[in-house]
Amino acid sequence: MFYMTAALKTKPTTGDRLLAIAVYAIIIAFALACLIPFWLVFLNSFAEESVLQTEGYKLWIDSFHLDAYRFVLAGKQVAKSYGVTVFVTVVGTASALLLTSTYAYVLSHRRVKYRNVLSFLTYFTMIFGAGLVGFYMLMVSWLHLKDSIWAMILPYLLNPFYAFILVAFFRNLPYEIYESATVDGVGDFRIFFRIVWPISTPALATVGLFYALQFWNDWWLSLLFIDDRDLHSLQMMIRQLMSSVSAASYVGGGTAYVSQPPTEGVKLATVCLTIGPIVLLYPYVQRHFVQGLTIGAVKG
Amino acid sequence: MHGLIKELRTNRSLYALGLPGMIFLFVFAYLPLFGHLLAFKDYKLRDGIWGSKWVGFTNFKFFFGGEDWKLVTFNTIYLNLLFLVFGLGFALLVALLLNEIRRAAIKTVSQSFIFLPYFISWLVVSFMTYAMFHTDGVLNRALEAVKADPVNLYQTPGIWPLLLTLIYVWKFSGYYSIIFLAAITGISSEIYESATIDGASRYRQILHITIPQLRSVVIVLALLGIGRIFYGDFGMIYGIIGDNGMLYPTTDVIDTYSYRALRQLGDFSMSSAIVLYQSFLGLCAILLFNWLARKVDRDATLY
Repeated sequence: MFYMTAALKTKPTTGDRLLAIAVYAIIIAFALACLIPFWLVFLNSFAEESVLQTEGYKLWIDSFHLDAYRFVLAGKQVAKSYGVTVFVTVVGTASALLLTSTYAYVLSHRRVKYRNVLSFLTYFTMIFGAGLVGFYMLMVSWLHLKDSIWAMILPYLLNPFYAFILVAFFRNLPYEIYESATVDGVGDFRIFFRIVWPISTPALATVGLFYALQFWNDWWLSLLFIDDRDLHSLQMMIRQLMSSVSAASYVGGGTAYVSQPPTEGVKLATVCLTIGPIVLLYPYVQRHFVQGLTIGAVKG
Repeated sequence: MHGLIKELRTNRSLYALGLPGMIFLFVFAYLPLFGHLLAFKDYKLRDGIWGSKWVGFTNFKFFFGGEDWKLVTFNTIYLNLLFLVFGLGFALLVALLLNEIRRAAIKTVSQSFIFLPYFISWLVVSFMTYAMFHTDGVLNRALEAVKADPVNLYQTPGIWPLLLTLIYVWKFSGYYSIIFLAAITGISSEIYESATIDGASRYRQILHITIPQLRSVVIVLALLGIGRIFYGDFGMIYGIIGDNGMLYPTTDVIDTYSYRALRQLGDFSMSSAIVLYQSFLGLCAILLFNWLARKVDRDATLY
């Protein structure tokens, strides 16, 4: 043992040292490259509109202004869009977790004779999709969800891939839990909600975060089904601001401003307000994602 | 039949628990399959899906009669291959490098920065891309500062496979490198210890221990990508390129093409033919994927 630690502490060679320098240089450069777009968007959202228009984005600005934020927050649209995105994310994630976990539990349960049939039927949806047209017709003609907030929630409630992650997790739970509970006459619903659910918190938290991120960032469903401005999510708001001719009229409530509306600043401010919650929760979110991915990688 | 009823009765509470999920799959995954029928019909809104006339393979003849199908099929495969090779390759490099960093603070902070782009939507990415590369963007102002000629990338189709690959690498390196790092952590430290005793440098250890040990993870991720090779990332392509027709020759993929056929031309039957063509190719790719997975590496079989 002594021999080993001694061997491990031998002096690094020149080659090793050069390699180490290269390693640090590349990683730090790439990490900065990942960060810089965020930095530019965040910093320049405080820049003066005239400076943005004439000089573009800068790595550092000399004077900080809140005009763009004041303008966006004075309007009605941002409150509506925040409301839509928060509602879709909260209700969507909660329902998706409930639906996915109950379904995955049934797929994983040894007593369910047809669990393999169900698994195959679930797997099949991953390998042969219905595609855009059938989905569009289902949503618009059959379910009549055009311009309904549920159009942004319902289609994502059960992702087969996440269901299979949970199936793998539930299968690894000790079977004795069920046996002793069943002997005690506890029903399946109570076993699931009182015993399985609490001990599965780590897996559920990870899957929940995957869902939450999907709901927060989605704009595909809004693009297809939402025309009503009152139901525009934050993502749609960014899209409108990027393409819309008049930011002022879209944001709304611009009457407080007599001068030119801060067109460029408004986009930056809206982007910051949209990714703000993700960045604020990032340390917590990142930890759970890393744990989830690590479990997946070790199993896969 | 008798067995089915008996099973449903004995485990009725379990099936009840799974019922919402089953209903969901039936409605959202199986019912829309009827949409594929439209590929063989001349769909008229007032006649509905069942009332519209059967036209056999007319829609397919029209689709395959033009040149577009070759272009969008090629773009889909080509872009996905670029993403797969460079996305995984660079993420592997990042993971190997991160693993060599001994200073915990630098490692944690860089890893956080590298993972950050994974968490934002394609629309925000699109906004950032535009800010970087449009005619008045960061890139052109930098070129101006060094007295170089400005470039108009949004009218230069040839550059976009490269740009999209860069964006993909930027967004997903963190995600994939975490998977690789997890696999690296799983490698037994004894292998490295004995290599050190034998006098192997860190460089040789990475080359001859770490990389070979990551083989099955790389294969799994690569095969997963191959299984999805006919599905373009709609959010990415449509988010970044949008309706900029100038760039279609190098960026239009099956998904954006069928979307436009449906939403902008309102041609349900045509779009449906394209979608069925894609679903069919996708199914072939998955079957190939499973066959390859079993052939290449037993540990790598996913399903």
